[in-house]
Amino acid sequence: MRFIAEENIPRLLGRLAANAAVWAPQVVKDTVNTVLFAPWRAGGEIETGAYSALSAKELVLPATERLFSYRYRRAGEGERIGIKGCAPQERVVIFGMRACDAKALAVLDALFLSRSAGSYNDPYYQGRRSGLTVITLACTSCDSACFCSSFEKGAAETAGSDLIFYPVSGGYLAGPVSEKGKELAAVDLFQDSSQEKPGLAKTAKVELVGIQQRLLERFDDIDFWRLATEVCLSCGYCSYACPACHCFNIFDETDGDRAGGRYRCWDACMFYAYTLESSGHNPRPEAAHRYRNRLAHKFSYFPLNRGEILCTGCGRCIRGCPAGLDFRDVIRAVSAG
Amino acid sequence: MSTVPRKGIKAAEPLVPEPATIIDVIKEGPNIRSFRLIFDDPGITTAFSFAPGQIGLMGIPGVGESTFAISSPPSQRDYIQFSVMKTGFVTSAIHELAAGDAVAVRAPLGCGFPVDSWKGKNILIVGGGIGMAPLRSLLMHILDRRKEFGSLRVFYGARTPADLCFAGDRVQWENRDDIEFIATVDEKHPGWSGHTGLVPQVIAAQPPAPENAVAVTCGPPVMIKYTLAALQQLGFTEAQIYTTLERKMKCGIGLCGRCNIGAKYVCIDGPVFSLDELKNRMVDGRW
Repeated sequence: MRFIAEENIPRLLGRLAANAAVWAPQVVKDTVNTVLFAPWRAGGEIETGAYSALSAKELVLPATERLFSYRYRRAGEGERIGIKGCAPQERVVIFGMRACDAKALAVLDALFLSRSAGSYNDPYYQGRRSGLTVITLACTSCDSACFCSSFEKGAAETAGSDLIFYPVSGGYLAGPVSEKGKELAAVDLFQDSSQEKPGLAKTAKVELVGIQQRLLERFDDIDFWRLATEVCLSCGYCSYACPACHCFNIFDETDGDRAGGRYRCWDACMFYAYTLESSGHNPRPEAAHRYRNRLAHKFSYFPLNRGEILCTGCGRCIRGCPAGLDFRDVIRAVSAG
Repeated sequence: MSTVPRKGIKAAEPLVPEPATIIDVIKEGPNIRSFRLIFDDPGITTAFSFAPGQIGLMGIPGVGESTFAISSPPSQRDYIQFSVMKTGFVTSAIHELAAGDAVAVRAPLGCGFPVDSWKGKNILIVGGGIGMAPLRSLLMHILDRRKEFGSLRVFYGARTPADLCFAGDRVQWENRDDIEFIATVDEKHPGWSGHTGLVPQVIAAQPPAPENAVAVTCGPPVMIKYTLAALQQLGFTEAQIYTTLERKMKCGIGLCGRCNIGAKYVCIDGPVFSLDELKNRMVDGRW
């Protein structure tokens, strides 16, 4: 283990900022002082005590990103289309991500960086992901919405992280996970340490054994899903706040002069229009239809197709749901049969 | 592997379309037009290969893109054809296009019909309305390799005679003696001397034998539903019946999320499925 003193953190981030954009959790000075990940500048305050309202998945999946630019050009009698692709190549170091959010990156990798047959590699995701270094801040406490202990490694999860900081008296123990992390912890701001790692958070648990099959068995019980979603507003908050949700929409924007771009933006499976077809047919017309698909995608289909659960227990969908829907209750009811 | 996947033309940048130019527009019916196009990069047109049943996204940059079945056969090397029903925002804009206009295309995507595994079998094709588009590709592909298959029977239904697409092709199909082509419209119509009645009824009146046969159907959901019932009544098993599905799609490459039926994605695992695959408990009814 390596150790870095608290007062050396700004120095470390300052050095990293020479070669990369540095993101850190910061209080956004609005009416409720929301904590969000944002670009950090030297001298900026970092908020390590609270949870960020959003996960920083925007670093690999921006809320809106350009896929390509186009321009119509005259060609003889008519016009031809010129298309220019976009290849994001950014270097970003994120400091203070939690293990659940870092794990979500590993989960997304299983989809967007897949090399398996029939899969497509996503060059935009890859461009951002390969330039990303993740310094994770291990959790020694949690709140009532957290439930990462439901998963195998809980708060000790290392997937998706490059270097993990464990808070101890006067600073942090630093445990490298990847080569990138090893290099980071080798610099002179760190020193060797034989200190014990602190005890990590133990959260509420949801039993997930067998959930993959139990959800499918419950799938056709539409009355169950109607009851489960009675309060749901289909507002999409849970998708936007989720570090693993990745579904997107694609739309075109034109500058009005035969040029513009195609973009993708976050979408949400709870939106009515998500599956609405131009004929007017909607295969998932009710929140109940959408919600059962949402949970089945996370706990049945994605594990089947990609070997990962599309949830890491961060609890944001519970903490922030405007209707107070706690999906852990639904999972428990499904498990109870 | 029951279906035939091929990589999209731009595997490295699968969300970026290739510029193409429309060379011909064919008015198929009141709200359906076929668009024949060539890629602006001649190398892509030359290298383009696909299996019948595969799909593509055609669009107009600045408007958007939508998913269509490729309705020309793989042997057609001079152009690829999409048949488009005017339904929404993008298809209305596409219907305004004429020969010489520019479009942008991502194709081929998805899995086509496993035609090679049907060698020696009797083929039954059942299409309804615009659902004939992928079946036209399939039918012409089978006709290209006619000797490799047994009997070939095609049922094609639409609401009115004007709604029956591919008029030029139909004349040829009706005149060939190595294919039994049966067109039907829902009700009697002045000037229509062909069959009347819904497709499942017409099938039941001239029942095909399930032995050593494969049935392929595509059309409006209600037609598919009753056609599947009629075929199963005749003794066709789930493994003998194929259909091709349609869902709202955005990415076409299994990432954007919305076109799943259970754990399968219509865009990459389909759009061709055997009824067997659809009845699998990971898929059946899990819209």
